[in-house]
Amino acid sequence: MEGFTYIDIFATKGIEYLLVISGLLFFAVFWRYLSRPALAVYREYANVVPALSNWFHLPPEGIYFHQGHSWARPEGDNVVSVGIDDFAQKLVGKIEAIKFPPVGARIAQGEKAWSLQAGSKSIDMLSPVDGEILDINESLLSSPEAVGKDPYGESWLMKVKAPRVSANLKNLLSGELAGKWMEGVREKLLARMNYNLGAVSQDGGVPVDGIARNLDRERWDEIAKEFFLVS
Amino acid sequence: MNRTATTVQISSFKDFLIFMRSELKPKGKILTPFNLITGSIILLGALLILYRFFAGLGSVVHSSSEYPWGIWIGFIVMVGVAFAGGAYVTAFIVYVLRGEKYHSIVRMAVLNGFLAYVFYAGAILLDLGRWWNIANPLIGNRFGVNSVLFLVAWHFLLYMLAQLVEISPAFAEWLGLKKARKFLSSLTLGAVIVGITLSTLHQSGLGALFLMAKWKIHPLWYTEFIPLLFFVSSIYAGLAVVIFIGTISFRVFEKDRIDEEYKAAWDDIVIDLGKACAVTMFVYFFLQVLVLIHGKNWPLLNTGMGYWYLAELVGLLLLPGFLFSWGVRSGNPAPIRIAAVLTMLGVIINRVDYSIIAYKWYLPLSERYIPTVMEVVITLAIVFTMVWVFRWIVNRVPILKKPPQWAIEQEREEEGVERVVAYGPQLGVTMADGGSSIKREKKTR
Amino acid sequence: MGIDRRTFLKGLGTGAALAAPGCFSFPGKLEAAGPAANKEFMGVLVDTTRCVGCRTCEQACAEAHNLPAPDLNDATVFEKTRQTTETQWAVVNGFKTEKGELFAKKQCMHCNQPGCVAACPVKAMEKREEGPVTWDTNCIGCRYCMVSCPFDIPKFEHHSAAPKLQKCNLCWERLSKGEKPACVEACPAEALAFGPRRELIEEANRRIYKNSGEYFPHIYGEYEAGGTSYLYLSSVPFEKIGFRTDLGITAYPEYTKGFLYSVPVILLLWPAFLSGISAITKRKDEVRSKEGGKL
Repeated sequence: MEGFTYIDIFATKGIEYLLVISGLLFFAVFWRYLSRPALAVYREYANVVPALSNWFHLPPEGIYFHQGHSWARPEGDNVVSVGIDDFAQKLVGKIEAIKFPPVGARIAQGEKAWSLQAGSKSIDMLSPVDGEILDINESLLSSPEAVGKDPYGESWLMKVKAPRVSANLKNLLSGELAGKWMEGVREKLLARMNYNLGAVSQDGGVPVDGIARNLDRERWDEIAKEFFLVS
Repeated sequence: MNRTATTVQISSFKDFLIFMRSELKPKGKILTPFNLITGSIILLGALLILYRFFAGLGSVVHSSSEYPWGIWIGFIVMVGVAFAGGAYVTAFIVYVLRGEKYHSIVRMAVLNGFLAYVFYAGAILLDLGRWWNIANPLIGNRFGVNSVLFLVAWHFLLYMLAQLVEISPAFAEWLGLKKARKFLSSLTLGAVIVGITLSTLHQSGLGALFLMAKWKIHPLWYTEFIPLLFFVSSIYAGLAVVIFIGTISFRVFEKDRIDEEYKAAWDDIVIDLGKACAVTMFVYFFLQVLVLIHGKNWPLLNTGMGYWYLAELVGLLLLPGFLFSWGVRSGNPAPIRIAAVLTMLGVIINRVDYSIIAYKWYLPLSERYIPTVMEVVITLAIVFTMVWVFRWIVNRVPILKKPPQWAIEQEREEEGVERVVAYGPQLGVTMADGGSSIKREKKTR
Repeated sequence: MGIDRRTFLKGLGTGAALAAPGCFSFPGKLEAAGPAANKEFMGVLVDTTRCVGCRTCEQACAEAHNLPAPDLNDATVFEKTRQTTETQWAVVNGFKTEKGELFAKKQCMHCNQPGCVAACPVKAMEKREEGPVTWDTNCIGCRYCMVSCPFDIPKFEHHSAAPKLQKCNLCWERLSKGEKPACVEACPAEALAFGPRRELIEEANRRIYKNSGEYFPHIYGEYEAGGTSYLYLSSVPFEKIGFRTDLGITAYPEYTKGFLYSVPVILLLWPAFLSGISAITKRKDEVRSKEGGKL
């Protein structure tokens, strides 16, 4: 270091730049490698999207939906059958118990009416109509998991005396409107799934545990509550 | 079944004392093999520490003028602090990036970090020759602001305080102090931001300590970039330790200390942590190559120390990096756990290189520093004491279990309030008159 | 500052009386009654061509600082290169070279920009304006100065319960009384000269020039490690008499400058960045949950 000969203090700069550039290229490859499972799922996901519409049964005629995924079907004489729709059941998965309000209790449209118990979590649902409870489906008390068997038929939750049924029905969705709404809900669900590996099973089947639980094992009840419009 | 902590009612200092006295009783079996072995080492270590203070440092430590710093600084402080890096990284992910998925482990990581700093940075006191002057850099009037060690010491102190603030809500929950918890919770984000800033500087600062030992450290390790390398390696070292301690904790603690959902989510989290480690180690590897080229040191690779360097690089950086990547790619946590242990070993050896192995590597073996048995016993005693304290706390305080219901509600309330404040305009609030009329959005029926 | 004619002539006369061939001695006594008034560094010039290895300097140093007296009759000390120790601030080492046996005194170099001073977190190691680097008892015993010294000089009293850091302090207490360092005063061969560093360098250059061939043309300590107050002359290359010649000319504190300068910057930038990110993720969180609640 006497200052008598030339010393290039930036001699290695060229190689360093090359190293860094190649490092960035390798990094891009490496990142893709680590994210591979997600990409594989994305491709399957792209196949599954059409299948998604097959997940949820088409509702029969005469069903009126509340945006919180409960439904009402007028039976005549101001009596209405009330239940939860197919989407709700598939979202929550295996239901361990349903907490019904007592017979004779009054429920109001858009207010909390019953709650589903799954895991250690409890999720309320909103009533589609105003009225007084006439009857509850006893078979669901003993085997609540049967609610998924025939959500719009045998697995009705309760029968309600609804004096203002026509006014109530005006606030509910049916027919084409309901169809459009379901599509919107499905899209929202897809957005949430976000290429999540667990939510999509290889054969396109719906997970028994419920879609919500596969989205987020810890906070699945919060996801369900958002769809059911419960705060 | 998950059980949240039952709320304790403490309304006076006397209550607190009574409560603490009951809490001091051990919660598990006392005479387990683990307790017996570690307990006797702790006892022995305590006696040796007393001896050290009366008879001088050299009575316990392998004294050598050639090696001013031994395993207490080179291992306990350097490695311990790198291992505690998990605290600031997970705090960053959970509180700054709001990765709620990792909420379940942040308390464990921060507790581990806090205890690490208290014990390991506290071990510095053991190593100081004239420890009674320690108040000097803190409240004295002769601040050596030109010194990297001054900066490191101050940062350690301040960071311990920041971590204490971060972990204090858990203790408030344990003691049932609702108002205190609310207040302490509000300080969390600030403490985290301060903590991350301080960590950046003192993790790199520990490396900067070696910058003036230019010709004493083998050129393959000495570089002007030491601080940067120490900082980056503290990221993956900390995360590897979180994986290690988390895996052990979830297996070892009783069911009622752990939340089942946390436990169920753990494997998933391990994979994500593994990904973070893989990426950081990838970057670190390129940094190492850059440093090698920059220093023009590649001819040295063909020497004894060069082989040691390569062994470290390949076996304890590339190999765990590969295992991490494989585990992430295949969604399998097992290789990730192995990689975590290898990574920890690699960081230990790397830090010890700077103070002992690559430090004056040219000296013959007879003049090298080899720790005495007493030093090793004291080192182990400090580590085991920390493990005992960690265990005592996790067995009582909501670290791995959910906070009590009232705490969860308090948190929800805070978020709700924030939401209203943040969404004032959208909710139809007119603030023009300074009024607080808040019209909530009507839900469609 | 110059040396006045009287002192110069006195020195000249003293020098002429000595047997040293061809060189004249440098005036030893300080002008003022204390360290130099305009506070330039004082230093010591060690001319190893004059040193005979008598080790009187070691003895004088021990006497002046209440250290154990070295055994001057022990000839085995020159068998291997010694370091300073916790009981000996200065040691003389002997080297067999092609120009015969040469001796060099080893002690703290009192660098212009000392690594130990930059390292010390409590300012126990201090570089005085007059040149000496001194140690003070507010030391915490961290030994960081030992790690940072390019000459590996400070020695820690490992086996004491109240350990001190032992190293040459250029007889700081004597300088305040207007005296010369003990070793300089004691040297019978006038190998040691004390005075302002600037003049010592001039003198050293003069000796090299005037006695071409006798001296290796380099003043050790002029630029090494950024320059030191102890300067050396030698008749052989300095590696041959136990000096490290790979220390570089950068002052050692400069190596930590980059890091220390960036600290306030990071302390300002990081909280700003982190707060910004936190605000953005909070907003994203809110938006996401808000949209989730609406159909």
